[in-house]
Amino acid sequence: MRKLWLVARYEYNQIVKKKSFLVGVLGMPALIVIIMIISIIAALGQRSDQPLGYVDYAKLLSPTVTPPLEEGEDFTEMRAFPDETTARAALDNGDIQAYYVVPKDYMETGEIAMFYLTQQPGEIIQADFFDFLRANLLVKQPEAVQRRLYEGVNVIMRAADGSREMDTENPFNFILPYIASFFFVFIVMGSAGYMLQAVTDEKENRTIEILATSLRPIDLIGGKALGLLGVGLTQIGIWIATGILALIVVSFFIEMPPLETPWSLLAVVTLFFLPAYALVAALMTAIGSAVTDQRQGQQISGIVNLLFTFPFFFIMLIMAKPDSPIVTFLTLFPTTSFVTIALRWGMNIVPMWQLIVSWILVVGAALASIWLAARIFRLGMLSYGQPLSPKHILASLREQKSVVSNE
Amino acid sequence: MATVTVSHVSKAFGDVKAVRDVSFEVHPGEIFGLLGPNGAGKTTTIRMMLDIFRPDAGDVSIFGGRLDEAKKARIGYMPEERGLYKDLKLEPTLIYLATLKGVSESVARARLDDWLRRFDLADYRQKKVQDLSKGMQQKAQIIATLLHDPDLLIIDEPFSGLDPVNTRLVKDIIEELRQQGKTIIMSTHQMHQVEALCNRIVLINRGQAVLYGEVDQIKRNFAGNALALEGHGDFDQLPGVLEVRHQNNHTWNLTLETGANPQDVLRALLARPDVKVERFELAEPSLEDIFVTVVQSHQEADHA
Repeated sequence: MRKLWLVARYEYNQIVKKKSFLVGVLGMPALIVIIMIISIIAALGQRSDQPLGYVDYAKLLSPTVTPPLEEGEDFTEMRAFPDETTARAALDNGDIQAYYVVPKDYMETGEIAMFYLTQQPGEIIQADFFDFLRANLLVKQPEAVQRRLYEGVNVIMRAADGSREMDTENPFNFILPYIASFFFVFIVMGSAGYMLQAVTDEKENRTIEILATSLRPIDLIGGKALGLLGVGLTQIGIWIATGILALIVVSFFIEMPPLETPWSLLAVVTLFFLPAYALVAALMTAIGSAVTDQRQGQQISGIVNLLFTFPFFFIMLIMAKPDSPIVTFLTLFPTTSFVTIALRWGMNIVPMWQLIVSWILVVGAALASIWLAARIFRLGMLSYGQPLSPKHILASLREQKSVVSNE
Repeated sequence: MATVTVSHVSKAFGDVKAVRDVSFEVHPGEIFGLLGPNGAGKTTTIRMMLDIFRPDAGDVSIFGGRLDEAKKARIGYMPEERGLYKDLKLEPTLIYLATLKGVSESVARARLDDWLRRFDLADYRQKKVQDLSKGMQQKAQIIATLLHDPDLLIIDEPFSGLDPVNTRLVKDIIEELRQQGKTIIMSTHQMHQVEALCNRIVLINRGQAVLYGEVDQIKRNFAGNALALEGHGDFDQLPGVLEVRHQNNHTWNLTLETGANPQDVLRALLARPDVKVERFELAEPSLEDIFVTVVQSHQEADHA
């Protein structure tokens, strides 16, 4: 076990000290900061202190009626004008940023005209007027009705057996599973590439024979996989921390929906991530052991990566028909289960039986692939310059089995 | 108790029988030569000793039993295929490999200082391995084999790529290690080094052990198979002579076929009018002569 940690620490240090890692890990936060700054600038640009004007021919609006506001929430001042001429004069004079005209037949047509000079008010400003309009239209309703209509419908989907539920109102419920899928794919792609490189490097450097007489293959491969997992988690940890920090900073400038810790998503990600990652690492080890150099391995590993990212090609189907046989298959198949479940998590309820069967399958596949990879590694580690053919691998596995059974 | 016991091991790769029923023992505190021509099965035998390959038949015992993780830490192995992380710096590479053998980082670092100084590599500790010369890489590989202070050393061609000064240094170190009670198995084609260092040898040819025992005894056994000649003329084409080597102006060494009688060779020489013999004596053969004799006679037997 100590040697496994030694290998893990060594692999981790080797990669995190590389310039390419630093560029990769700092590139994303830099991008997040840029996006954050742009968002804040755009938000600040939208929020103008100037009032909005309106001409109410339908006699529906009162400037004293305002929508219910959260504590500290900004709201644009609404200024009434008796006719369009005075409203236009105020606009030309720079007293207001725009004005709306509510026609007499508004209740029949629902049409409203907005006038501005050169700069259209931002969406937040426009939303303020429509909130103002909605509040006035509801002013004669009981307060509970007002609040319900004002806040809209909050659909909570529940599984028939009550095992799971999902709140559709919060956009984070939809976005976070996508982010989890993206991070998983990133770790798969990144770590798989590193894993392949780590194994082929040992072959190309001819260090395998020395290592084979120093530690068990499982310590070597497990240590490498662990170290590379650490690299991936470090990278993602820095990104998530930057993202959370960015959200906190942005929330001072832009109204954000409440962000609750998505415990159920975290649980399913934790349960599926490790076996799925072990499966990728083992497959890459097997490939790295069977080929002669990294370039050859990359061609094959591309296909493996595709197996893990396949659900993204079916994203429309997952959205439209989450219970279709193809989506169920993708949910259960070991290489596609993680991404499929993460994608479905944000859109609908994944039945509990599918979660259980899928987890059993991915854990089983991971254990089988680790077993296979250890044997192919032992077989391929000394075959310098010549790839292992499938026939050779099968024959040798049979030989190893007989040796083991004779022992 | 023998440090290493190889007992009737065999290994085949498909139809190729790489090692056939090879047996030998290596005792504590001796330098043991594992010899043989290219492709004889030496490396396969070593790999079976180290559990890299499992033998199809036979047994290997290291330090009195099967090789386990604790015993691996007591072995220093320098394989035929040299291996260091080329794009890494020398010092961290060597320390990492030593820690994998169970040595703490601080101990490895302290020992490394001594070895780097001894091998004149102290100024290169922060250089990448790939920036070192071939000879320096070879010395670094030897340090990697020794840094964890193993009780059993298995070294394949330890003098390859070394200049005479460093060859002498490595020889001295091997001798020192023997005096410390370490067991050393050395595989090399440099027969004069084997002659100078090894107590006992096994010669493997075509997967089989064809010669095994103490070097002095083997040389005595083959004493009748070598002749030293001084004279003039052409000494080729003599009956019973396997190989003729011209030493200098008028001196030749003749290696006889197994079972050939030196007296028959002398009679044949005297019968030839084109040669003049000034000295004719039985010579103790060099290990190289014995190697060539044994290997070639087996080849001829196989062809016959």
